[in-house]
Amino acid sequence: MSAYLISMATFVGFFMILALALNLQWGMTGMVNFGIAGFYALGAYTSGLLSVKLGWPVGITIAMSCVTGLIAGGLVALLSMRLREDYLAIVTLGFGEIVRLIALNEDQITEGPRGLKIDARPFADMFDRETYPLVYLGLVALAVAVVFVIVECIRRSPMGRTLRAIREDDVVAEVLGKNVLRHRIQVFALGGAFMGLAGALYAHYVQNISPEVFMPMVAIFIWMSVIVGGAGNNWGLLLGAGVVMTILEGSRFMGDFIDFLDAEQLSAIRIIVIGVLLIAILRVRPRGLIPEPKFSFAAASTDQERQPSIENAK
Amino acid sequence: MAEDLLQAENICVGYGRGDIVHGVDVSVSAGRIATIIGPNGAGKSTMIKAIAGVLMRREGSIRIDGQEIGGKPASEIARCGVAYVPQEANVFRQLTVTENLQMGSWIEPEEFDGRYEKVCALFPILKERGKVRAGNLSGGQRQMVAFGMALMVEPKVLLLDEPSAGLSPAMVEQMFDIIKQVNKTGIAVLMVEQNAMQALKISDHGYVMAAGQVAMSAPASELLDSSEVSELYLGTRQ
Amino acid sequence: MSGQLIINGIVNASLIAPPAIAFSLLFGILRFPNFAIGAYVTVGAFIAYALNVGAGMPLWVAGLGAMAGTAVVVWLSDVLVFKPMRGHTPVTLLVVSIALALIIEHVIRLFYGADVRGFDLPLERPIKFAGMRITGEQIDIIIMTIVIGIAIHLLLQYTRIGKAMRATADNEVLAEVRGINTSYVIAFTWLVCGALFGLTGVFAGLDLVIEPLVGWYLTIPIFAAAILGGIGSPYGAMLGSLLVGLAEELTVLVLPSSYKIGVGFVIIAVLLLIRPHGLLGQPEIKK
Repeated sequence: MSAYLISMATFVGFFMILALALNLQWGMTGMVNFGIAGFYALGAYTSGLLSVKLGWPVGITIAMSCVTGLIAGGLVALLSMRLREDYLAIVTLGFGEIVRLIALNEDQITEGPRGLKIDARPFADMFDRETYPLVYLGLVALAVAVVFVIVECIRRSPMGRTLRAIREDDVVAEVLGKNVLRHRIQVFALGGAFMGLAGALYAHYVQNISPEVFMPMVAIFIWMSVIVGGAGNNWGLLLGAGVVMTILEGSRFMGDFIDFLDAEQLSAIRIIVIGVLLIAILRVRPRGLIPEPKFSFAAASTDQERQPSIENAK
Repeated sequence: MAEDLLQAENICVGYGRGDIVHGVDVSVSAGRIATIIGPNGAGKSTMIKAIAGVLMRREGSIRIDGQEIGGKPASEIARCGVAYVPQEANVFRQLTVTENLQMGSWIEPEEFDGRYEKVCALFPILKERGKVRAGNLSGGQRQMVAFGMALMVEPKVLLLDEPSAGLSPAMVEQMFDIIKQVNKTGIAVLMVEQNAMQALKISDHGYVMAAGQVAMSAPASELLDSSEVSELYLGTRQ
Repeated sequence: MSGQLIINGIVNASLIAPPAIAFSLLFGILRFPNFAIGAYVTVGAFIAYALNVGAGMPLWVAGLGAMAGTAVVVWLSDVLVFKPMRGHTPVTLLVVSIALALIIEHVIRLFYGADVRGFDLPLERPIKFAGMRITGEQIDIIIMTIVIGIAIHLLLQYTRIGKAMRATADNEVLAEVRGINTSYVIAFTWLVCGALFGLTGVFAGLDLVIEPLVGWYLTIPIFAAAILGGIGSPYGAMLGSLLVGLAEELTVLVLPSSYKIGVGFVIIAVLLLIRPHGLLGQPEIKK
């Protein structure tokens, strides 16, 4: 049981990194990303392939995952410079799907649906098999902490204020002389790097990656985490990631009590529960359960119920 | 006191939480023109939107011919003979000019042909450019489409939000002429105008709004003569 | 060989066109891309399947049932989910629509599992000419899509409700001010679009397979077609469908067919870069 809890906590860690990255991109800057699964997969396959095919040391392959995530994020952001946010949603989703398609179809390199087996693990030879999961959890926790500190520092810095200005209104930020495009690209690239990191850590943890893990649904779980925690609020979304994972995993145990449903039906019910909760939360608290600190007027100005009025068309 | 055609009393209205208009009374009788002037942010447009039903008034009574319309949706208020012309987004851009006019007689489609001729007599250009999409017209022509569409309603009350906004000086002149002409057919006009001087000249009554309240209500000629008003609102325009 | 690809492309386009038109019509009202459209198509496919295979009805009756049933489901999704949230930001609504798509997909999985199914139809030999082949069902799909396109055109251009639909999509406040009961018009629009999604479900069941993700695989080509034609322009959506349908099939000449689904994305990305308003769309004028 405790092995199960450790594994669950490790997965919560991956979610937390992804959620922090999304919070940087969307919560703090207002850039939509539905291609989370794509960045996650890119990180996983970069590190996995470099270590399996070229035999590079794990530390370096994980760093390379961050680099590819960074580059991919920058490129997607470049694409988005003229796009409205709903178009960016489609483009990022497309990016994610294309990464998955490549992983699925180029099976001479990626092993396709058979899955890529990865033997290398960081510090594996220094610990025995019993304690290693705990060590890995510690490693993931360290990564979460580092990402958290970086994102939180950005939030508190003058750049964080600029990002909020971009989020509220690009045009205003542009007029104020903030270089909106540069900031958008920087933030999206950095978020991409964090997602790549999460993917690499995931790959070396499960040691077998296959494309079906990286379905667009991953994005929904991460959005759910950020929205539950409160967009822009880094502490809140750590909690959010935990809540989402608990719902996902906790409902597994329902199977012990409800024996007339098979595993597939239970997993369907899990997703339905997540979806219904997500809609319910968005309807009641569009900016999340725990609103962003010190900036509560943002909720009022961007998402309040509007009167049907021509004024809003301006 | 006899009831005017349009009688709005003690209107309180705003967006979301706070009110912008605090207890305003406005009235117009048949065949008259009333103009609301005042500085930006005084709540003039908000007031006219409340009468049109685009904004739901929080408090107060609005009556047309003695019939209460306050609290009704805009589509029902339109059926009571009120035609409102917004300042912006006042035409259907994707629809042709003729289709825009058809929308004007939406409530009584069988009246379209007769009214169409009348409106085109006022604005011949609307017939000429009937097949053009309204979004492709110049600002002045669009304003004519908006105005023509409202006249297609054959309303009892015409509510105009800044009818001269964005027009060239010559066109402003023409626009006010047309308003006067329309008014002579017996339609009551309530308008909000920045162009206070010219608007008051064709009006019977004027209201000066400031900070969400009526600061002055007097016959238009009196307002034009008032040194206070001309200093505050007309001076810069002369 | 390429003649066959063009036939496949036209069939493909006929599959995409009705939902692309519906997506465009809905966008006029919603002002955000509704990601649940694929799930609506899946609903149509499964209702038709239940009526055809489950209840033993002939396919054309099942198809009409699917259109009616999907129309109701789609309209309910507005009443229960989107209508109470009108006025929220597009991104909020977009996330909601994805969540809704997941819910619908998994409700279907709950009852039908992930098995691949098909309608109960006699096997027909494809018609062959000049070395190319096309099935009778594919001809039906093409003809019905053309009929649907003409019908939607007549509806929008010449009927009172159709003009009200266009007016409401263009400027809801002004439509209301001119006496149009816009909430009625919006409900009608949802029902029409729902019927189109339902019909697409039937087409998908005929030409592809019936499974919980069938609509999801169509979502991106539908977006691509609608964006290509200029979002909010039903005629553009028809043209866009033809181009996307052909492009998807013709890429088989250069790329393995498993990449077909990626073509839509590439079209969207390239197009948004060079012409953000689509081929026939008009730029939105921001104040």
